[in-house]
Amino acid sequence: MSDKSKEEKVSTTLFQKRWKKFKSLKRGYYSFIIVVIFYIFSFLLPFFVGRDALIVKYEGEYYFPVFKFYLAETFRQKEVQGEANYRMLKEQFKQQDNDNWVLMPVYPYGPNENLLDELTEIPPTHPNNVHFFGTDDRGRDVLARLLYGFNIGISFSLIVTILSYTIGVSIGSMLGFFGGKVDIFGQRLIEIWSTLPFLYVMIILSSILNPNFLLLTFVLTLFGWMGMTYYVRGEFYREKARDYVSAAVSMGAGNSKIIFKHILPNALTPVITFLPFAIVANIFSLVALDYLGFGLPPPTPSWGQLMSQGMQNIEKWWLIGTPLIAMFLTLLSITFIGEAIREAFDPKVYSRLR
Amino acid sequence: MKQENILEVKNLKVKFPVAGGILLRKVAEVKAVDGVSLELRRGETLGLVGESGCGKSTIGKAVINILKFSSPDVDISGEVWLKTEEGEVNLLSLSRNEMRKYRGQIQMIFQDPYSSLNSRMTVGQIIEEPLLYHTKMNKDERNERVAWLLEKVGLQAEQSKRYPHEFSGGQRQRIGIARALSTNPKIIIADEPVSALDVSIQAQVINLMQELQKEFDLSIVFIAHDLSVVEHISSRIAVMYLGNIAESGPGSDIYHKPIHPYSKALLSAVPLPNPKLKNKERIILTGDVPTPMNKPSGCGFRTRCPIAKPECADSVPVLELKLPDHYAACPYVSGN
Ligand SMILES: Nc1ncnc2c1ncn2[C@@H]1O[C@H](COP(=O)(O)OP(=O)(O)O)[C@@H](O)[C@H]1O
Ligand code: SF4
Ligand SMILES: [Mg+2]
Repeated sequence: MSDKSKEEKVSTTLFQKRWKKFKSLKRGYYSFIIVVIFYIFSFLLPFFVGRDALIVKYEGEYYFPVFKFYLAETFRQKEVQGEANYRMLKEQFKQQDNDNWVLMPVYPYGPNENLLDELTEIPPTHPNNVHFFGTDDRGRDVLARLLYGFNIGISFSLIVTILSYTIGVSIGSMLGFFGGKVDIFGQRLIEIWSTLPFLYVMIILSSILNPNFLLLTFVLTLFGWMGMTYYVRGEFYREKARDYVSAAVSMGAGNSKIIFKHILPNALTPVITFLPFAIVANIFSLVALDYLGFGLPPPTPSWGQLMSQGMQNIEKWWLIGTPLIAMFLTLLSITFIGEAIREAFDPKVYSRLR
Repeated sequence: MKQENILEVKNLKVKFPVAGGILLRKVAEVKAVDGVSLELRRGETLGLVGESGCGKSTIGKAVINILKFSSPDVDISGEVWLKTEEGEVNLLSLSRNEMRKYRGQIQMIFQDPYSSLNSRMTVGQIIEEPLLYHTKMNKDERNERVAWLLEKVGLQAEQSKRYPHEFSGGQRQRIGIARALSTNPKIIIADEPVSALDVSIQAQVINLMQELQKEFDLSIVFIAHDLSVVEHISSRIAVMYLGNIAESGPGSDIYHKPIHPYSKALLSAVPLPNPKLKNKERIILTGDVPTPMNKPSGCGFRTRCPIAKPECADSVPVLELKLPDHYAACPYVSGN
């Protein structure tokens, strides 16, 4: 290659190089795209899956129930109490054959909607062409619950992972950077903390307090940050002894410059490579807690809660089968992402995946 | 003719504790540097030569006072006097904060061109960093200085946006040189700047350093493990063995008329045969290299010395004047 063409080559950061490598690992890269698209889509679920109509045209006026709550009286729906029932309204307008109309989401059932009035059998009902994955024991649509549960599971797991990594990275950096007594005492304290039995604490807490999103996030973070401290501590120890850090000291850089400008950017490999696996673990924790009944309060759509229903009605296979498959696919694709990230960021250790 | 000293190291001792047991108590110590004195004269190059592990890098790092950072438990004694405009300061007596003031005057080029550059920073950011700490230049002035420095070390100004991994070892070492020069230092400690490079590139980098020495009026401590590298660039050479200076004197004297048995052995190991030594027999060092942790008593070299005597175990030999300005730490040899 001539010097000229080298000059024109666009400069790449280490991260860009690794990203390119990640993109070349098809299994992980496609899983990444699918999971990201699905997760973004899950925030738009009310437009696709839900009980509230997107648009209602009633007596010359437009209503947007996805965004706003309307009482049944608004549309003179006499037989309904409280919020309007838009599926029913749609049928009514069809029969009346006037200017009024209702536009429903493609799959017009909500995750927390009790369908006892519409079902012809006693729930849980079998999957059919109306309720694709059947209904659960309270007559709620399983598909809607699964989809909304996906959003909650991933969001919860992301929040817990980010919080516990923030704590873990900060403490690990401190131990590794300052070393000496700080490190020895810090490590002993973390070891003591790690011996607290998570499940007992969770059971005790949820019998005193009502578990909710915040409390669960708090407790899982409190018990989840320790693992990362060891890795980051080790990275800091190693990086601190390398010549580029000595060079920074010899130039007169202060501690904060050395930590944030020099060491931290070089110490994040374990953070990034473990991230997908931590997300998997936290999704799994939430499912397990929900399954045991210590999770998010009802009627939050949750995979674990569906599974526990399924265990009680083992012959209703769709109650346990569909959340299991959903969980399996989710965790599998995130694990694929994790593998590819590892391979891209830490190629020496994990090169067997090539 | 004799220039004044710009840097003086007096009786420098560096001990690394070896921790063990569950409480990580000190169980032994590595005497990496065991009483070394050196003088660097203004505008000159002092060659510091010795086998790997004899304490050369440790001396360099102790001189610029960065050992305490990466090894907080290290035990350092002795003095390092730097001559500045306001008089002499003992760098070893300064705290990290007080030391900052003098950092711009004495800089180091590191041995490993790969680990000594932060791979997350562009070349521009790397060379610019000392300017942030030691000058009040604004962004434009700094960019200009970086571009100028890059050209001085034989790279192109446009390469400042590149990352270190896009450069070869020799180019990286040039970047390290540019970084060390950015604050206009008076003294450069060059820690084996070429030993990681291809032989064909070594000469280029050494020539570059000689040009820069003239242009920037630098005094250089040039560390190497091979006498041939420093021979023609050093006014004076100090040969080290296991934490001590074995011999020191004018560069050509050491190369052509070595006195100490260790220097003789080191020279006969030089791959390009030295014609002056051709007729003499090659001295092959036997025995394992002792580590600074289990250093022999008395003369550190006695386990491998071809002329060792029982008395060599009794006391540590001191540097004695053998020829004009030429010292050797062995009582059983002479300059003639
Ligand atoms: N941070 C450290 N902790 C413990 N021992 C060290 C440390 N740095 C160097 N040493 C020891 O000190 C001795 C001298 O090392 P060094 O100065 O790097 O040698 P050289 O640069 O001559 O190859 C070696 O035995 C090495 O193992
Ligand atoms: S003192 Fe003894 S062992 Fe040491 S160099 Fe001289 S002769 Fe050899
Ligand atoms: Mg060295």
